Amino acid sequence: MSENSYTVEVHNLTKKFGSFIAVDNISFSVQKGEIFGFLGANGAGKTTAIRMLCGLLLPTSGEATVAGFDVYKKSEKIKSNIGYMSQKFSLYEDLTVRENIQFYGGIYGLTRKEIAQKTDDLLHYLNLWEQADQLTSALPLGWKQRMALSVALLHDPQIIFLDEPTSGVDPISRRNFWKLIYQLSGEGKTVFVTTHYMDEAEYCDRVSIMQEGKIVELDTPKGLKSHYKAKNMQQVFLNVVNGESK
Amino acid sequence: MNRILLSIMRKEFIHIIRDPQTLVIAILMPVMMLFLYGYAINLEMKQIDVGIADLSATPQSRQIVERLASNDFFNITIINPDYKDYEKLFKYRKMRSLLIIPVDYAKKIELNNKVQLQLLIDASDPNAANYINNYFSAVIFEETIGINHRKINLYSVEPRILYNPDMRSANFFIPGLIAVILILVSALLTSIAVVREKENGTMEQLMVSPVHPYQIIIGKVLPYTLLGYINGVMILAMGSLIFDVPIVGSLLLINFMMLIYVLCGMSFGLLISTITDSQQIALMATLMITMLPTVLLSGFIFPIKSMPDLFQYISYVIPATYFLEIIRGIILKGNGISELYQQTLILSGITIFLLSLSIKKFKTNLQL
Amino acid sequence: MQRLLYLIQKEFRQIRRVKAYIGIIFVMPFVQLLILGFAITIDVKNLPLVIVDEDHSSASRRMIEAFSKTDLFDYKGVAPSSKNVVELLDENKVRVAIIIPIHFERDLKKGKKPLVQVLVDGVDGNSAGIAMAYVNQTAMLLQKDWLKGYSGEQMKAKLIEIVPRMWYNPNLESKYNIVPGILAVLITMITAFLTAMNLVREKEIGTLEQLMVTPIKSWEMILGKILPFLVIAIMLLIVGVFAAGIVFNIWVKGSYLLLFVMTIVFSMSTLGLGIFASTMANTQQQAMFIAYFFSIFALLLSGFFIPIENMPSWVQTITYLNPLRYFIVIIREIYLKGSGFIHLWKEALAMAVFGGVMIILASLRLRKRL
Repeated sequence: MSENSYTVEVHNLTKKFGSFIAVDNISFSVQKGEIFGFLGANGAGKTTAIRMLCGLLLPTSGEATVAGFDVYKKSEKIKSNIGYMSQKFSLYEDLTVRENIQFYGGIYGLTRKEIAQKTDDLLHYLNLWEQADQLTSALPLGWKQRMALSVALLHDPQIIFLDEPTSGVDPISRRNFWKLIYQLSGEGKTVFVTTHYMDEAEYCDRVSIMQEGKIVELDTPKGLKSHYKAKNMQQVFLNVVNGESK
Repeated sequence: MNRILLSIMRKEFIHIIRDPQTLVIAILMPVMMLFLYGYAINLEMKQIDVGIADLSATPQSRQIVERLASNDFFNITIINPDYKDYEKLFKYRKMRSLLIIPVDYAKKIELNNKVQLQLLIDASDPNAANYINNYFSAVIFEETIGINHRKINLYSVEPRILYNPDMRSANFFIPGLIAVILILVSALLTSIAVVREKENGTMEQLMVSPVHPYQIIIGKVLPYTLLGYINGVMILAMGSLIFDVPIVGSLLLINFMMLIYVLCGMSFGLLISTITDSQQIALMATLMITMLPTVLLSGFIFPIKSMPDLFQYISYVIPATYFLEIIRGIILKGNGISELYQQTLILSGITIFLLSLSIKKFKTNLQL
Repeated sequence: MQRLLYLIQKEFRQIRRVKAYIGIIFVMPFVQLLILGFAITIDVKNLPLVIVDEDHSSASRRMIEAFSKTDLFDYKGVAPSSKNVVELLDENKVRVAIIIPIHFERDLKKGKKPLVQVLVDGVDGNSAGIAMAYVNQTAMLLQKDWLKGYSGEQMKAKLIEIVPRMWYNPNLESKYNIVPGILAVLITMITAFLTAMNLVREKEIGTLEQLMVTPIKSWEMILGKILPFLVIAIMLLIVGVFAAGIVFNIWVKGSYLLLFVMTIVFSMSTLGLGIFASTMANTQQQAMFIAYFFSIFALLLSGFFIPIENMPSWVQTITYLNPLRYFIVIIREIYLKGSGFIHLWKEALAMAVFGGVMIILASLRLRKRL
């Protein structure tokens, strides 16, 4: 494989807040088209790590490149090449569905024609024709979540960061959401996702488990399960967290 | 004492200590306001920039200039007699007023026994304009007496300023500040304290426990009453020690009145908290309803008697109106209860009304 | 540039949806002007006055007449004795008392210079000062009057009279001073509060984070926030100018253009301040609190109702850091005197510098990182 096939590369990345070490010396790389899962309890450092990769936080030390751009110097370049969806719902509830799409399209520098095209595509794709001119606040949460993802994809980014995208969503919506993720990965996009639903971890190509800022495990779900002789990821996770021997 | 009540009160004290916003409202705000009002608010004017155009330039006219210059109130600039564009001086705000001594001043005073001096005043600040006019009149009158060798001084006026002989602004504002701060702090704190529990859902938790509504209310009100009361004492002490406000009347009476007033503020805060559902709205509503009327319409700065009738009627339902009379009366005039019983009765009446209304509303609110 | 346009479009779409904005822009100016314009009366009037007439002569009656017919005092009648007067003062029933001594007229005629006592409640030092000045002035006028009748030397008495001419506000009405000030305060409060709340709201709901991961530039983000609220500030001013005209019949004497340009320059600093406050706060409640504190300071130290010259010099120094201080001067001068830019350029410059610094500071704090 050529080195270009790694879209995210991280070496010894560390983030300290005062004396608290949120992310402690982590290293990994993610291949193009991979679905890369970040697992961990609340406060394990997942969100901090993802924010550094998106250029929202400056690392304390270590190196990282995203889509070939350095997170220290080229964070603005990174931003044109990634899609990001945070754990908070990130659309404007007081704008209509159509207006949200128009706004984010404009922000990413799409032309008027492209925006019109994308709006049509998305409304069709999300099956939101009827709701296009309703306020976003009126949509059910599962719909909002899918719409937020679609909006984060307006500019056709190669790498997508999803920070706990499915928290608080019902199981059927979650499954629909993951269908979307598979589809993206099939199109050759890299998906970087954090979650604390263990069943979701099974869907990832590779999973890293974070604990107290460190990556303690990194493998395919299959590899992890056989390693811990566990029947599912839930058990793997509990074993890792409780520090039981391999 | 009641153990449930004690535990509610203990919890409330922990809230006070842990919540920075509460501490800011309770401590930083009063101190800041005290210093601002104590130092910055001063309605006494001095060192007013005035110009004199002495077109006469005679010994007689110079005598007027000297008399004006020796007065501390004025900061005199002599205008070149050839300069005529007086309006420009006002537009550039070089001076607030300009006295013009006419060319024939000396001649007129000798021959006609009567002369007029023109005094131009920039009246865009009417208060200052009034002061300036009065000061000029007084000084010129002295001059008139002077040139007549005191013969026309028929009678004299002996002023006696009572209660605040130096007419210090601090003596006026600091007792008033107690009225403003106490109602603000007590109303704000209680309203937020109750609404916060609603927001967090802990109020529901309290309701399903075997606690009587009266225990919740008293458990909440008592700690904040204490806090508000400490606030009042703090301002009183700082006012007396730092700003030298003399306290003529009875300290005991002051303390008693402060307690009634704090209770009044608490009741109001409680009432607000039963109507609102978010801290933000509670904060906004309390600020709007207590702060503006208390500062503007209670007589804290602007005399009630000078307002239009409508505003005078509004001022009658503001608790601070009565408390201001009480606190200024006790501190500066040494009033006792015999002079203040009316105000005290009205204030207590308002308090009882607010308290019973809020308890009633609070109860129905809890049962929902 | 295109991104900026989309930001502004979004902002207006959001503004349009919030009903409260309509109230803020179109109703607030009227309400504020009505309440503040009437309540803030720096002119002192209706001070309750009693007179003790121990003389019951024509001279004393003349004096009572002179004091009872002014707006400054609310003449409550004659009191029986001076002991009684002190009680009335104690009970807050009266604020000023004048005691005309027995044999006043006789002594006057004999040239014995009788003594008239004036008791003033000094609790409100400002009112007391004005009352004293007025008492002195009236006493003086009476003297001049009586010179003819009593001195017998009136032909020789030399009189110097002052003819005051009150420019810009001939009747000394405080509304001319207060109303333009209220407009300035209104613009300050609304612009600072709205921007602070608006940005913090985006922070709370998470859309700010979303904006930060887009390739949008910092300056675009700041401008995208400032421009829409600048438009609101201008609409507010237009409504405010009409409200002042309709309610108080006070219209701008100088150039409207200058007034609007100055308002834009001024709004830069308050908008910058709002953004700055929002970077310090995490919840709308905190933002409101911070903005509220700033505005109290700005208001008290602006010269709006307490002249800056009266403050101690260290406080005066602080006021130079207050952009409202400059704007209050500018709006009053344009409103009342019709002053032009040449008279106001110093204040304008100070405001522009302040606005520039504020916006730079805000941009630095609102970098595209968390």
